[in-house]
Amino acid sequence: MNAADAGAGAEFSPQAGRARAGTFFTSGPGRALARNWAACFLVVLLVVFSLTGTNFLSVVNFQNVVHLQTLPLLLAAAQTFVIITGGIDLSIGFVAGLASVVAAKLMQLPLSAGWPVGEVIVFGAAGALLLSLVPGLVNGLVITRFKVPPFIATLGMWGIANGVALKLCQGFPVAGLPDALPRIGNGYLLYVLPGSFVSFFDKPAGFPDARVRELWRLVPFSLPFILVVLGVLAFVLRRGRFGRHTYAIGGSMDAAVRAGIDVDRHLVRIYVLSSALAGLAGVFNVFQTGIGNYTTFSSMYELFAIAAVVIGGASLSGGKGRIQGSVVGVLVLAFMENGLAISGVEPFYRYIAVGVLLVIAVVIDKLFPDLF
Amino acid sequence: MRKSILLVVAVLLGLFVARPGFSQAKLKVLFMPGVADPFYYTMEKGIKAKCAEMGVDLTVAEYPKAWGPENQVPILQASVARQKYDLLLIAPTSTDALKAPLKAIYDKGTEIITVDTFIGDGDYSKKSDYSFPLSYIGSDNELGGKLMAEHLAKMVGEKGKVFCEATNPDASSVQGRVKGFKAGIAQYPNMQVVGVEWCQDVQQKAQEQTLAALQKNKDIVGIFGTNVFSAQGSYQAVVNAGLTGAVKICSWDATQELIGALKKGQVDLVLAQKPGEMGSLAVDWGVKYLKDKKNVKVPKKVLPGFEFFTRDNVNDPAMQQYIYQ
Repeated sequence: MNAADAGAGAEFSPQAGRARAGTFFTSGPGRALARNWAACFLVVLLVVFSLTGTNFLSVVNFQNVVHLQTLPLLLAAAQTFVIITGGIDLSIGFVAGLASVVAAKLMQLPLSAGWPVGEVIVFGAAGALLLSLVPGLVNGLVITRFKVPPFIATLGMWGIANGVALKLCQGFPVAGLPDALPRIGNGYLLYVLPGSFVSFFDKPAGFPDARVRELWRLVPFSLPFILVVLGVLAFVLRRGRFGRHTYAIGGSMDAAVRAGIDVDRHLVRIYVLSSALAGLAGVFNVFQTGIGNYTTFSSMYELFAIAAVVIGGASLSGGKGRIQGSVVGVLVLAFMENGLAISGVEPFYRYIAVGVLLVIAVVIDKLFPDLF
Repeated sequence: MRKSILLVVAVLLGLFVARPGFSQAKLKVLFMPGVADPFYYTMEKGIKAKCAEMGVDLTVAEYPKAWGPENQVPILQASVARQKYDLLLIAPTSTDALKAPLKAIYDKGTEIITVDTFIGDGDYSKKSDYSFPLSYIGSDNELGGKLMAEHLAKMVGEKGKVFCEATNPDASSVQGRVKGFKAGIAQYPNMQVVGVEWCQDVQQKAQEQTLAALQKNKDIVGIFGTNVFSAQGSYQAVVNAGLTGAVKICSWDATQELIGALKKGQVDLVLAQKPGEMGSLAVDWGVKYLKDKKNVKVPKKVLPGFEFFTRDNVNDPAMQQYIYQ
């Protein structure tokens, strides 16, 4: 991933050479390559698509891709924590949809009562975030108290969250929200017309529609937002006691118990965190689209989050994974879609490409289990 | 004495036996929607109102969570196993996979009308293994796509590149719209369809794909979104790209969200199907036929047509009935 990690890999190579001594992958650079294959693959993707796709290599395109991956990034971060403990959370996609619908519904009421727009938005967002803790709490308690496997417990919540969301919105996206929402969610820090002006936060009033193609918009608001959230999560996972316990539980549940970790309590926290991040993703979605969207079945957000986490180097058996890796996983999937589309590849080939990539990720994990 | 008792009993029995002939038990109608979305909810409202008006019993089957026979057939079979219906109104989710299950229901004495979508090629007038339904009542999707292309062409001055954001490549209705749209645009020598993408009903995906298309072809002047999700996703992509006003968006299905977007200037043209009217017509024809099988001749295909919303007529009181709610 970064230089420090690559260095660490090289340092350990002499001892790790026992099984496949002398092969390329036990050499320093080889280890670094295999360890960070997803990041390397991402670089290769970017180079290839820059050559094959018109306008692929551009700030605007990269901004768009990252902006639209905000929701998948949050979900992948949530899934990373859960997968490191050796669990899985299938409910996050629908919890996001539920939070989205709840936020929108909560905004509708005070809006019609004439509250100021700012308060309406804060009220709706805070209410939805608060509510999104509940599915995680239930998941965590069911998993720890009744020893229900996470797959089943969260599959149950998968259906419940979706049912509640659809019941609340009656199958219609919840519309009629403040116009400020999508303006904030899709806004940019800088608007620049080369050689003419620089404007902060919004394009100058009265800028003609006919010239919008000349306007440069830089740094979407979503970028600092997601960087801060991911930064905090990565820090918590790598540096704090919370993170150490998370890896310990995933590494060996028995050892964690013997080491005096309150495993049940920690797992409940993990599922609450996961569900809260899903709720955050749902609230962000309201800002991005300006409506309360329930999650459709065909979106499969939870499965793509799992795919991203696995491509990013986590193991479904637990104990392994990093936020940075999952970010790379999300970006690999996103740029593959975007790049193939811009290069003019027929949509159906893309499904095949994503499938192949996922299998390769797991094969690499199995071939080099001690690399990560 | 004894004779008179017998007589009374005979008269009473006669009355009971004859009763169904005089006033039939209420007809039972089952509505089997295609998927949980605003279009079918609106259709249900039309069906409900007409059933109440004609005095027939309506049961609405569970809405399938996702499109496809694997979701619809089990719900359908569970519904007809519970009770026998006189009339089934169904939006088949597959042109082939629904043939056999529907034939089985038909053979047990239930009349069938397919609404919105059809089985086979939708032509029940010629004899075939799928010609048993009473009628197909729905939209001519290909015609709708073509009309859409013509309206869009007029808006952009009959020149430039256009893009199509579609949903499911395996649905007859969507394929029809795309085909019609391509044919419609092909009539203009200075226009070109630069791509068709499939978002599988996921708005986020539609947004990503449209942004990629706008990135690839910076001079796209118009976009056609084939349903609620693809249209909403593509207009958000245009907003993301900062091209509101420079790219015309036309979309299929008059949901409140899209009508709101039309009023705000984010969408420029909205085609309204008439789901309420489809449902209402289906009940009307079906019940009329069941009440008088000999004399009522049901047309094998009924197409209620379309309405087009623009900013000029969106506040027109006469148009409000076509908004889905």
